[in-house]
Amino acid sequence: MKTKVLVVEDDKWLAEQHERVLKTDYEVKVSFSAISAIGDIDDFHPDVIILDVLLAGNTAFTLLNELKSHSDIGSIPIILCTNLASDIEMSDVSHYGVKRILDKSLMEPGDLVGAVRSVT
Amino acid sequence: MSRERGINEKLRGGVFHDGLPSIIAAAHELKSPLALVRQLSLMLESGDISDSEAKRMLRQISLTSEKALRLTSDLTRSARLEDAMFNVEPINPQQLCEDIVHELSPLFRAHGRNVQLTQRKHPLLLIANRDLLRRIIMNFSDNALNYAGTDSTVRIQINAINSGKTIRLGVRDYGPALSSDMWRTLRSKLASSPQSVHARPQSSGLGLYIASQFAEAMNGSIGAIRHHDGATFYVDLHASSQLSLL
Repeated sequence: MKTKVLVVEDDKWLAEQHERVLKTDYEVKVSFSAISAIGDIDDFHPDVIILDVLLAGNTAFTLLNELKSHSDIGSIPIILCTNLASDIEMSDVSHYGVKRILDKSLMEPGDLVGAVRSVT
Repeated sequence: MSRERGINEKLRGGVFHDGLPSIIAAAHELKSPLALVRQLSLMLESGDISDSEAKRMLRQISLTSEKALRLTSDLTRSARLEDAMFNVEPINPQQLCEDIVHELSPLFRAHGRNVQLTQRKHPLLLIANRDLLRRIIMNFSDNALNYAGTDSTVRIQINAINSGKTIRLGVRDYGPALSSDMWRTLRSKLASSPQSVHARPQSSGLGLYIASQFAEAMNGSIGAIRHHDGATFYVDLHASSQLSLL
């Protein structure tokens, strides 16, 4: 059974690109907002969440707080994938379950697969 | 200050300085399209892509680049606004908006969305600079594209308000409602623009800041209306009395 990866990304084409990269190795679902991601986590039961920070509607912190408040889903490893990576310290977000921070502007497509592999 | 709030402010802070868009704001807004173009290009370079997929990715690169170039052009225009001479003249917004719809339709279609102009029976004229007005509406439309739901239609609307003295050009999107907190912030910032206008969380607000500058240069103003299923961003400009003289 493939590892399930939920991609939370409001840029439709970037989400499509993430899915393109991941779908060979993983079962992938995309959410375009933090709010829809909350529902998708219940339905999809992801093993890993790849999360953009500045999302349409609410920032990633809405989702991170929601996840943290539930014991059953609070342990899902999270990979932040953001253009703001240089502004975020791991020590500030690790208590939300964030395991890796990827810089969208610097990463190679394969880095996404590598990051998922490293947290599962 | 909570740690989360601190991070949020750090992410969004320093965007504007002395009333002018900062290099940080511009860099932030350009990073997203450039990162996407880079990812798609690297993927294409890898070669393991079908012809149809490659064609789709090349189209996305082209449209994303055009959008980024529009922003750079707006930034340049905004920076030179005080120095540059520009004419204001009576303009038929219907024709201008039809041109914008024609230009943006490929981008919207590629995103699975539509853009339409709500047609009017009677023409209206307003006083504006054609180039600045076009940039404002393009800007609102780009903003709406980011927020509109899949398969939805963004509508450009032209209305006379204030007993016909003001013409309002609005861009209405149908997507998630703005939260009350977000709406209060937006309202207060729009009321005292030009300054940082965080339309939506994923944006630094640079586009709307530039739009407010362009509107002010034409003695107009921008604003927003919150709907239960989206938002309208609009520009108000003086109506031309030319029609009444005909």
